[in-house]
Amino acid sequence: MSGTDADLLRFEDVHQSYGDEKVLRGISFGMDRGDVEVVIGPSGSGKSTMLRCVNRLTEIDSGHIYIDGEDAAAMDENDLRRRVGMVFQDFNLFAHRTALGNVTLGLTEVRGMEKAAAREDAMGHLERVGLGDQAHSYPGELSGGQKQRVGIARALAMDPELMLFDEPTSALDPELIGEVLTVMRDLAADGMTMLCVTHEMGFAREVASTLSFLDEGKVVERGPPDQLFDAPEEARTAQFLERLTGLHDEDERSGGPRTSSDGHGESDGGEPSGTRRGERP
Amino acid sequence: MSTEAAPAESAAESRGVSLEFGGRARLLAVLVPFWAWLVVRWAYDWVVVPGTNVSARESFFPSQQFLTAGEALRNAAAPAPLGGVLDWFAGGFDFLAFGVEALPQLAAGAWLTVVLTVVSILAGLVLAVPLSVARVYGNRATRWVSLSFTELIRGTPLLAQLFVLYFGLSLTQYVREIPGVGTGWIPGTAVWVAFIGFTINSAAYQSEYIRSALLSVDSGQLTAARSIGLSKLGGIRHVVLPQGLRFAIPGWSNELVYLIKYSSLASFITVGELFFYARDIGGDTYRYVEIYSAAALFYLAMVLSASLVMGVVEERTSIPGLGTGRAR
Repeated sequence: MSGTDADLLRFEDVHQSYGDEKVLRGISFGMDRGDVEVVIGPSGSGKSTMLRCVNRLTEIDSGHIYIDGEDAAAMDENDLRRRVGMVFQDFNLFAHRTALGNVTLGLTEVRGMEKAAAREDAMGHLERVGLGDQAHSYPGELSGGQKQRVGIARALAMDPELMLFDEPTSALDPELIGEVLTVMRDLAADGMTMLCVTHEMGFAREVASTLSFLDEGKVVERGPPDQLFDAPEEARTAQFLERLTGLHDEDERSGGPRTSSDGHGESDGGEPSGTRRGERP
Repeated sequence: MSTEAAPAESAAESRGVSLEFGGRARLLAVLVPFWAWLVVRWAYDWVVVPGTNVSARESFFPSQQFLTAGEALRNAAAPAPLGGVLDWFAGGFDFLAFGVEALPQLAAGAWLTVVLTVVSILAGLVLAVPLSVARVYGNRATRWVSLSFTELIRGTPLLAQLFVLYFGLSLTQYVREIPGVGTGWIPGTAVWVAFIGFTINSAAYQSEYIRSALLSVDSGQLTAARSIGLSKLGGIRHVVLPQGLRFAIPGWSNELVYLIKYSSLASFITVGELFFYARDIGGDTYRYVEIYSAAALFYLAMVLSASLVMGVVEERTSIPGLGTGRAR
C-alpha cells in the first residue's frame, strides 16, 4: 500500500536532523485510512521525531510528508495540528484545568464552539474513554492511566483524521497500562487511523495492521506484525524483538493487554537496555 | 515547585504572617478597626467637612487624658529607680497623646500611599506580563528589549528614577495639560509622575518574578496546546499564563509589600503621602522619633493587610496538585 495517492499519511524520503545529528535518514512509507501502524525501535532511533514531524512540532530537512494527498509543509500548521491528534508519553495535561477543561480548550479556542456546546461535546469524549465521572477532577487528582485517557479524549475532541501516539503507556505503572490500551483498541476498532510508537507487543500483534522496525533513522523492516514477530527478514529486527519480548515470551503468546516489556526496558524511555547506543553517529 | 509533595509545606508558608501571630482572626481584630477608622476618616474629611486644611483637622479621639496621665506619673513622688520607670511610662502616654493628634494628617497621607501602591502594582502587572512573556518566549529582539528594560530599571535607584521623571524630564509640564488633573478626586501632577515612576519600576521587578514562574510551567503543556492547533500565543495565554501567574503569587506579594514602603519615596517629589506628612509634622514639632514610629505602625498595618489579602488570593486561586497553593 506504500506510496499511492490514496494514502492518508505518506512519508517520502524524509530526512531530519538536530544540528549535526542526523535523526531521520530517508523515511518512506504510507498508511491507508483506518490503518494502525506500530513503530518500534531502540532509543534514539528517531521514532518520536518521526511522529513530531507529522504535525510539524519538528520541521523536516528534506523529503515530503503528505496528509490525505496534501503536502504538510504547505499547510497552515494550526490547521494541520487540528487534523492530526497527538498523545504524549508524559500526558502533558493542562494542570490548571479539569479533565473537562482540558478537552474543551481546543473546542472553544480552536474549533470556535460555544462553551455550552463544547462542554457537552467534551463530556461525550470523556465518556468514550470511560472518564465521564472524573470530568471535574484536576490532573493532580487523576491516576496516570486516567490522565492518559484524558489526553486521548483531548486529542479526539478535535475530530482528527489521524492520531499519533508517542509511547502512551511508557510512563505508566504496569497495572494502569491496560486501561489505556483498551481505549486504543476501541479506537482502532472504530476505524481511527493510528500511528503508534509503543513497545506494547501484545497490542502490536493484536491490533496493528503494520509493524515497522526503525533503527538509526531508517525503516529497517516493515510488514504485518506476525511476519516480523515470527519470521523477521533482518537480523537486527530479530535481535531487537528478541530482547524486547524475551523475558515476557510466554505472556506475549497469550495476547493479553499487559503482555509488554514494561517491566524492564520501558521505564527509562522505552528501549531495551544495551541497544546499540555506541553505534550512533 | 510543582511537585506533588509541595502543597502541605507551602500552605503553611503562604499563611506565614497569620500563623506567627496566632491566627488570622487575631490579626483581623487589629486590622479591621484600623481600616474602618481610615475609611470613616477619609469619608469625613472629604464628604462631611470638605476643604479643611490637612494640618487643621481634628482627631476623632481625645488626647487630653493621655497628657493628664503622663503628667500625673511624672509628678508622683517615687524613690529613684522606680521614678525612672514611671518617667518611661509617662513618655509612653506622651507618645499616645501626640500620636492621636497626628492621626488625621497620617490618614490623609495613608490615602495616597494606598492609591499609589494599588495603581502602580496593577499597572506594573499589565506591563510585566508582556515583558516576561517576551523574555521567555520571544525572539532575540524582544528578549533583548525586555532584558535591557528590566536590567536598566532594576540596576538604578528608584529615587533617581523619580528625580529624572520629575526634575529631569519635567513630566509635570505634560501631565498638567491633561484635563481634570488636580481637581476633585483626581490627584495632582506630582502624583501622576509618581504613578509613572512606580509603575515602570514595579513592572521590571514583577516581570522577573513572573519570568521565573513561567519557566516553572512544564514546557510539554505548551507543546500539547500547540498539538491541538492553538497558536503559540494562544497556548501561552490559555495554558502557560494561568499557571505561571499562580506560581508568581508569592513573589508578587513580596513586590507588593516592597512597593507599599517604597511609595514613601514619592514624598521627595512633593507627593503628600504618609511619609510626607510624618516628615512635615516632625519638622513642625521636632518630635521625629515619635511621628516616624507612628508612621511605621501605619506601614506595618498596611503590609500585614497586604500579606493577609494575598494569602487569601493564593488560597482562592489554588488548584489541587498544582504549584504552591493549598488544596481546595
